[in-house]
Amino acid sequence: MKKGYILKRLLRSLISILVIMLVVFILVYTLIPRDNIFFEDATYRKLGGKPDEKTDYVYNTWARLGYLDYVKINDYCLEKYEAGSEEMKKAVLPDSQETANFVALYESKGYTVEYMKVSGQAYAYKDIPVIQRLATWFGNLIQIDHVNRVQDPNNPDLERKIYFGTTPTGGWAIIGSGTYHKYLLYTDSHFPFIHQNFITLNMGNSYPTYQGLEALSVMFSPQGTEVKRDVTFETGETASSAINFGTLTYKENLDRMDKKKFVDHYANYTTFKDQASMVGTSFTMGIFAMLLAYGIGLPVGMAMARNKDGVIDKLGMLFIIFITSVPSLAYIYIFRYLGTTIFGLPSIFTTFGPSDIRSWILPIISLALPSISSLMLWIRRYVVDQSNSDYVKFAKAKGLSRKEIFRRHIFKNASIPIVHGIPSSLAACITGAIITEAIYSVGGMGKMLPNAINQYNNVMIVALTFLFSTISVVSVLLGDIILTKVDPRISLTEKAGRS
Amino acid sequence: MERISEDNLFEFATFDEKESEHIAAPRYSYWKSVWRTFFKSKVTVFLSVFVIVLVAFALIQPLQSGYSPTVAPNINNADMKYLPPSAEHIFGTDNIGNEVWDVVWAGARNSIIVSFVSTAIIMVVGILVGAIWGFSKKMDKWMIEVYNVVANVPYLLLAMVLSYVLGAGLGTLIFVMTCIDWIYVAYFIRTQVMIIRDREYNMASKCLGTKTFTMIVKNILPYLVSVIVTYISREIPGLISYEVFLSYLGLGLGTNYASLGRTISQYKSFMTGYPHLFWIPVLVLAAIAISLYVVGQKLADATDPRTHR
Repeated sequence: MKKGYILKRLLRSLISILVIMLVVFILVYTLIPRDNIFFEDATYRKLGGKPDEKTDYVYNTWARLGYLDYVKINDYCLEKYEAGSEEMKKAVLPDSQETANFVALYESKGYTVEYMKVSGQAYAYKDIPVIQRLATWFGNLIQIDHVNRVQDPNNPDLERKIYFGTTPTGGWAIIGSGTYHKYLLYTDSHFPFIHQNFITLNMGNSYPTYQGLEALSVMFSPQGTEVKRDVTFETGETASSAINFGTLTYKENLDRMDKKKFVDHYANYTTFKDQASMVGTSFTMGIFAMLLAYGIGLPVGMAMARNKDGVIDKLGMLFIIFITSVPSLAYIYIFRYLGTTIFGLPSIFTTFGPSDIRSWILPIISLALPSISSLMLWIRRYVVDQSNSDYVKFAKAKGLSRKEIFRRHIFKNASIPIVHGIPSSLAACITGAIITEAIYSVGGMGKMLPNAINQYNNVMIVALTFLFSTISVVSVLLGDIILTKVDPRISLTEKAGRS
Repeated sequence: MERISEDNLFEFATFDEKESEHIAAPRYSYWKSVWRTFFKSKVTVFLSVFVIVLVAFALIQPLQSGYSPTVAPNINNADMKYLPPSAEHIFGTDNIGNEVWDVVWAGARNSIIVSFVSTAIIMVVGILVGAIWGFSKKMDKWMIEVYNVVANVPYLLLAMVLSYVLGAGLGTLIFVMTCIDWIYVAYFIRTQVMIIRDREYNMASKCLGTKTFTMIVKNILPYLVSVIVTYISREIPGLISYEVFLSYLGLGLGTNYASLGRTISQYKSFMTGYPHLFWIPVLVLAAIAISLYVVGQKLADATDPRTHR
């Protein structure tokens, strides 16, 4: 295969992703009324009796989320006068000279000027166009950590260097000072053992649910209760803590407890918890469901093809018809009912939790059912088609045994289209299974998009869409590449193909 | 003498051009063969009657019962709640005293309307676009990217935003379902057209001077009919499932409309206490979907010219 083809295709995929993101930005940021984001916000509800604070909070939130630019008369006057001074108090009043200047300045810039309901103080705002927001989003997406990243006016003596060292838990590390992360590259006893913080993806902070957390860390951070163990901090302080040293980041204002534990300003961290992250949970479930689907679907489908119109074939077809026609909601409940009454398995994931293997059995089977049925259908079809082809008749005439023909010739050819779908099935594991996870209350990725949509968590919607569409576009490309590796006759470039 | 008489036994045949073109096989009519094959099986006939009755009943019953999820006439009548199925209350009654029979059929009606209308729109748009897409190589390059984009926009998001902008309802849901699914049909038809377009018999037909229009109507469409019917037979239960899925998540029809998905999601808390409440909608849903699918598959088999004997 030509390298140019893949490069071109990657480029086109990139453009596709850009367009998808543009569509999503338009949907989310222009069609959904921006007032809706406050439906789930507790702070907003508390401000009900204070109109000025409410207005300020609302506009600040919109500004932080990138909806608009927001300026108050207060900020404008602070450039001229001391905070709390007499001039300041006069200047912010609606009939002052400063207010007149403020209004004139921002109206000439295209801002809309309005006045607070109670105090009458002026403020100005201007909507940011969607295209600009999209550009900003992509601009902030990839964050590269460097020694000048932290700019803290209260800490001018911050050293700026990168050096080798060890983490408090004894792993090797590349340590930075002046960088946002303390440990840029480190090893520990947790999967995947070598971690890096040089390049991180930033998709904004979640709002209004999971407030203050980065959108990505909501999906990728462990869940459950903290796992505490005895640790020795760099100051020599020992305590029972669940700290994950690798995640230390810069903190501007240290409190007393931080000073006790840490020798420097790197005091923000996340903790170890006893359950996998949402992505991890969905992925584990998806992988096992996939293995189950291939483990059952392929042999049964082949058995059906070999006994075409026999009992196995008829029973298999019955199963396939049932799964394809009956809505997943209905058959998952039916299978769950059978599993709980006959085998005594828990009907909900959380009964025994993720550490108990019984919790996983029913969700994995439910998730595997549609894949089993479609794999059965396709492999049966391919094997039947291949069995009638000339080369099989020739092999038969030459005296090869049924088994040999099947294993060395038919299976090889029939599995080609099946192999094509493997990367896409893997990708589907990450996106999670909405219905299965909802019915069994599994803490996976499936609920994320519907919840984000229902709760107007626009940051999360955008982050999830980007993640899912990138994975899906890349997995389709990967599937095509694997296809050409498995079957050299297939070419992806246009000239070599027939049509 | 004998020679002469032998000569008299034979006479010269005249060459008749019309006669020589006649093929001594029974006349083949595509659609007649389709129906003959379809009605050959008693099971299929029985199932089709069942489906027609089921769909007709689901369409008519709610008009007669006048059930609406916004009114609950028996909500304060404790004697009408949680009644088990009986001769008087065929499917029993639910937690607010509604007849489950009415609730289920009203939900089924909306599911069927949405899925039938959406399927019709999706198929018409998809086939038209797909046919042009399959024939034009220039268009293919661009349409593949359009496909990449449309297929990757999260449909849940689209469903929610559109129901927000247009207001939840049957029309909105149909629009939501059609505005992404048509591209899958178009992609599917495009692939089929591309496969058939370059087949040997079409090459031969082209070489013999058949017009493109005749080729499409006589050579390609009969082959596509069975493929399209197969697709429809999957699409209708698929969309019923989709409506149920959206409503289950609270993103489908609004609360003013009866829906099987929302009914199931509402009744699921009664699964242990009043199992009939939960299982009746689930089983009705399964029965509708499965019978529609099987009849569709049978029809698809009958429309495949290769099954005509």
